[in-house]
Amino acid sequence: LEAIMDGGGEDASKVIHVKFVTKLDSPFQAPSSSVVIPSNVTRLGLSSIVNSLLTLEKHEAFDFLIDGELIRMSLEQFLLAKGISAERTLEIEYIRAVAPRKEEKPSLHDDWVSAVDGSSSRFILTGCYDGLGRIWSSPESCTHILEGHSGAISSIAFVSSEGAENVTVATAAKDRTLRLFKVDTAESGDPTTRVGAYKILRGHKASVASVAAQKYGSKICSGSWDCTINLWDTDEATSELSVAGKRRKGNNQAEETQLEGEAENTFVGHTQCVSSVVWPEHDVIYSCSWDHSIRRWDVPTGKESMNLFCGKALNTVDVGGEGSALVAAGGSDPILRVWDPRKPGTSAPVFQFASHASWISACKWHKSSWFHLVSASYDGKIMLCDLRTAWPLSVIDTHKDKVLCADWWKGDSVVSGGADSNLRISSGISIS
Amino acid sequence: MTKKSQGANEDQVKEPKRKIVPLKSQKEAKEVKSSKKEEDLLLDSGTDSDYDGCSLSGSLNSDDFDSEDDFDSHRETQDDSGHEGSDEVIDSENGEEEDGSDDEGSEQREVAEESDSSEDEVAPRNTVGDVPLEWYKDEKHIGYDITGKKITKKEKQDKLDSFLATMDDSKNWRKVYDEYNDEEVELTKEESKLIRRMLKGEAPHADFDPYAPYVDWFKWDDAIHPLSSAPEPKRRFIPSKWEAKKVVKLVRAIRKGLIKFDKPEEEPNVYLLWGDDSASDQKSKHLTYIPPPKLKLPGHEESYNPSLEYIPSEEEKASYELMYEEDRPKFIPKRFTSLRSIPAYENALKESFDRCLDLYLCPRVRKKRINIDPESLKPKLPSRKDLRPYPNSCYLEYKGHTGPVTSISTECSGQWIASGSTDGSVRIWEVETGRCLKVWQFDEAVKCVAWNPLPDFPILAVAMGVDLFFLNTELGTDEEQQRIEELLRLDNLPELDEAAAAIAKWLPDEKYRGIKIRHFKNLSYIDWHPRGDYLSAVMPGGETRGVVIHQLSAHSTKRLPIKMRGLPVCTLFHPNHRGLFIIATKKYVRVYNLHKNGEPIKKLETGLREISSMAIHPGGDNLVVGSKEGKMCWFDMDLSSKPYKILKNHPKDITNVGFHRSYPLFASCSEDSTAYVFHGKVYSDLNENPLIVPLEILRGHSSKGGVLDCKFHPRQPWLFTAGGDSVIKLYCH
Repeated sequence: LEAIMDGGGEDASKVIHVKFVTKLDSPFQAPSSSVVIPSNVTRLGLSSIVNSLLTLEKHEAFDFLIDGELIRMSLEQFLLAKGISAERTLEIEYIRAVAPRKEEKPSLHDDWVSAVDGSSSRFILTGCYDGLGRIWSSPESCTHILEGHSGAISSIAFVSSEGAENVTVATAAKDRTLRLFKVDTAESGDPTTRVGAYKILRGHKASVASVAAQKYGSKICSGSWDCTINLWDTDEATSELSVAGKRRKGNNQAEETQLEGEAENTFVGHTQCVSSVVWPEHDVIYSCSWDHSIRRWDVPTGKESMNLFCGKALNTVDVGGEGSALVAAGGSDPILRVWDPRKPGTSAPVFQFASHASWISACKWHKSSWFHLVSASYDGKIMLCDLRTAWPLSVIDTHKDKVLCADWWKGDSVVSGGADSNLRISSGISIS
Repeated sequence: MTKKSQGANEDQVKEPKRKIVPLKSQKEAKEVKSSKKEEDLLLDSGTDSDYDGCSLSGSLNSDDFDSEDDFDSHRETQDDSGHEGSDEVIDSENGEEEDGSDDEGSEQREVAEESDSSEDEVAPRNTVGDVPLEWYKDEKHIGYDITGKKITKKEKQDKLDSFLATMDDSKNWRKVYDEYNDEEVELTKEESKLIRRMLKGEAPHADFDPYAPYVDWFKWDDAIHPLSSAPEPKRRFIPSKWEAKKVVKLVRAIRKGLIKFDKPEEEPNVYLLWGDDSASDQKSKHLTYIPPPKLKLPGHEESYNPSLEYIPSEEEKASYELMYEEDRPKFIPKRFTSLRSIPAYENALKESFDRCLDLYLCPRVRKKRINIDPESLKPKLPSRKDLRPYPNSCYLEYKGHTGPVTSISTECSGQWIASGSTDGSVRIWEVETGRCLKVWQFDEAVKCVAWNPLPDFPILAVAMGVDLFFLNTELGTDEEQQRIEELLRLDNLPELDEAAAAIAKWLPDEKYRGIKIRHFKNLSYIDWHPRGDYLSAVMPGGETRGVVIHQLSAHSTKRLPIKMRGLPVCTLFHPNHRGLFIIATKKYVRVYNLHKNGEPIKKLETGLREISSMAIHPGGDNLVVGSKEGKMCWFDMDLSSKPYKILKNHPKDITNVGFHRSYPLFASCSEDSTAYVFHGKVYSDLNENPLIVPLEILRGHSSKGGVLDCKFHPRQPWLFTAGGDSVIKLYCH
């Protein structure tokens, strides 16, 4: 600490009394006495001050909050910009810096990885341009392959993730169909098990771009290039048609009959490709489209209950944040926008993150944090964003080509797939 | 003491003239004195004939004054406070003072009570009253006393005796002769003091305090009750008739010019000798006044003894010698110790002569310079910000071709684009991700690709060499796929007439299970009819047979019933009017009606050297033509056969132009490896001309090969450009 003090000693007149507070647990609890620090320290300086106060064995990176805003410039500039008096003792809250601390080994696919789902803590689902879906229990260990599609898979989702042994997975593909797979996770055979679909959902007239499942239900919805959103039932019982399943090589469930399903309901309203759908609540679907709009649909009535106009073609949308009400969307420009639909009278975004350099291909809210977002872009970067600062918390630059999909996994990892045919997992992200 | 008297005193105190007053009165007194002296010399009698001492109590006696006494000496003696002289003056002053101001006299009467009382004691003996005393000049008596008895004049003393008597009597200076009563009055001490004070300009009475504090006795606040109970007279409320008359009189006088108001003060006619002439008055006097050139003002260096820093060093002087005479400085500062040592200026005569020459030989011609703000010459265009969205930045690239990409075509939903390259490959790309979905490899360089405009009919037409291919993209649904496969099966070819058969031959394509049409000449351009059944193909080498139309559903080829003039470059089907067909040759654009057997409808004169490309507005009335000299012409076909606007923006050949299907945008791409995006709004109001605004220059392609094709995304305001650097770029808004 003294070294830092000496370092800032040239400008000894400008010092600030600060008190470090935290909500972290015991090894990270700093003494609550106030400290005098030079005013020109940045986050790095503050972090080393706290480290020296804590006397940890291992150096830990911290992030600092003043009045709910992350410090991203020198303390002096920050106080000036926010108009906070430096006379009083300043209370600075510190949290562990949100950045991946570990990079898992990449899991190589045969083709571009176009979809990833990390909503289950046990598995990662990936969809690939070779038409196969894969289930990964850990990096580099693919347990199941979901086959059947004749086109590239564009989206993949768990229908019932945290159930018993049997897991239902829905895939959407560019061959205009969706397929439903039942995977028995108990038999994690060492040669990768190949699974065929138990149900094929036909009805879209063009490529299916996105699929989302109801949280505690048996329904899924899908957005497609034919400008519609279709609602499907995943139950085996309710299917009207059934055709004899074809024989598949290496498939031990080959004798099972394959069901075909038709759309239960169709939401028409978008005028262009529905690029992404999310189903955050039981009766509400959000969708975004290339017609520059984000719409909210009421599932029982099939009516549109909200229409946000963005001005850019949108590729991805997600709902989360404070009260699970904020809408984040990215598309054909490098800006990730966050809207608050609860705000009356305005359709302007409340937050904008403009750190990317190309189209945004994916954005996901953290499941438990109100502030954290992951965004992936065609510039090959994945960024962790925080609503409390306009700068990204950290940039994951492991992909060598476009990143096509990204998701949170287990609350502390980011999984992403890209045009370099790799599934990357960045773990050790501490979000309190 | 009254307020009034005090005010008067204050006035006297304040007035600076007050000092002069005694002088003046003394002067008068002197005059009076001198006249009296003369009279005295003439008449020894005490009465003064000229004198009209109407209110005088006592008149002046010439005997009181010393004849030798001069005014100045009086003053001196007074200043010296010499007794004799000063007292004499006092006497005279007293008389004058009382004479001059009646008001003051009355005051003094009040103030100087003592003297009055003495007068009261000695009542005037004479009762003649206020009559000129000269009436009694020749009489023995001076008047009558109160009882009516004559008062005899006193025995006139001998002049010498009287003089002696005055010399003897020490109190003589106090004595005043009273003509009226014919007696001598001796002034008391108080009276003489009073006179002395008045001479000094003080208040006559010693007790009077001229600077007593002012006591305002008047009650300034208004009384509650009026002083009079009489009603307000009417005249208080009506405007004065006499004033009105006076005003009318004045107004008339002003109108007639009898009353002149004060003229504004004339400004002194001075001007800055060394100032700028341009603002001087002379300018207004002359019609075109050109001020003579001014000499440069002398500075410090021209001083005879300038500071050392102005003096050039020896080296500098030597360097001046090396210079051309014109470049040499006209004046080299020198230093002299004193003004005396300055020699005569050797060039004085020559310079003044030159100056004169300058003044009268210089050309006095006014240079006509037009000051126009270049900004004002620019046409007023709306701001680019208001014309959003338009493509401006490149985010996606489609890489895979190994040769220059010659042609691209967008699928009508905007999900895919097709591209053809000189490497012989035709590729289909996913717009969203930039992934190449399909590749067809041919042996020849691809000239042109065109996607069928129908959404449920994903067929790609590809022109290369003499061949035209219809390729099945296999992107549709299963039913669509079936229909396409049926269509692309050449089972029962209809019999073509000989002329058509000589031009094109329909063949099945084994490799890709499509159709191949072999032409007799190399193809350069193909274009689908908006309904997706007909396709026109252009063969520049075919001359009069250079344009044919293929019908896909009938598997047939038709020659145009048109007599071709010039080499065809490209063709267009009119987007709305089904029968209209537009053919661009190298110089002209012609419109034909195919429904009426190829009747020519319009001929557009482009004025261009060589047309390279053409695009039609989705409305159908406006056409853009690009040329190989880098010019682009916008035709409003309803307006005129001449271009509405000619845009010169590309330094090199324009390779392609294109309109957006729904946004008011059009673009051109050129071999200078840029693409220009314009706002081109066509109004439904026929009176309003189209609005054309240049929006953006899209750079990014490497300079090798230029940009060979550009196409708008069918639904988004995005532009695809195909580069000679074998990359396709997508510019987004």
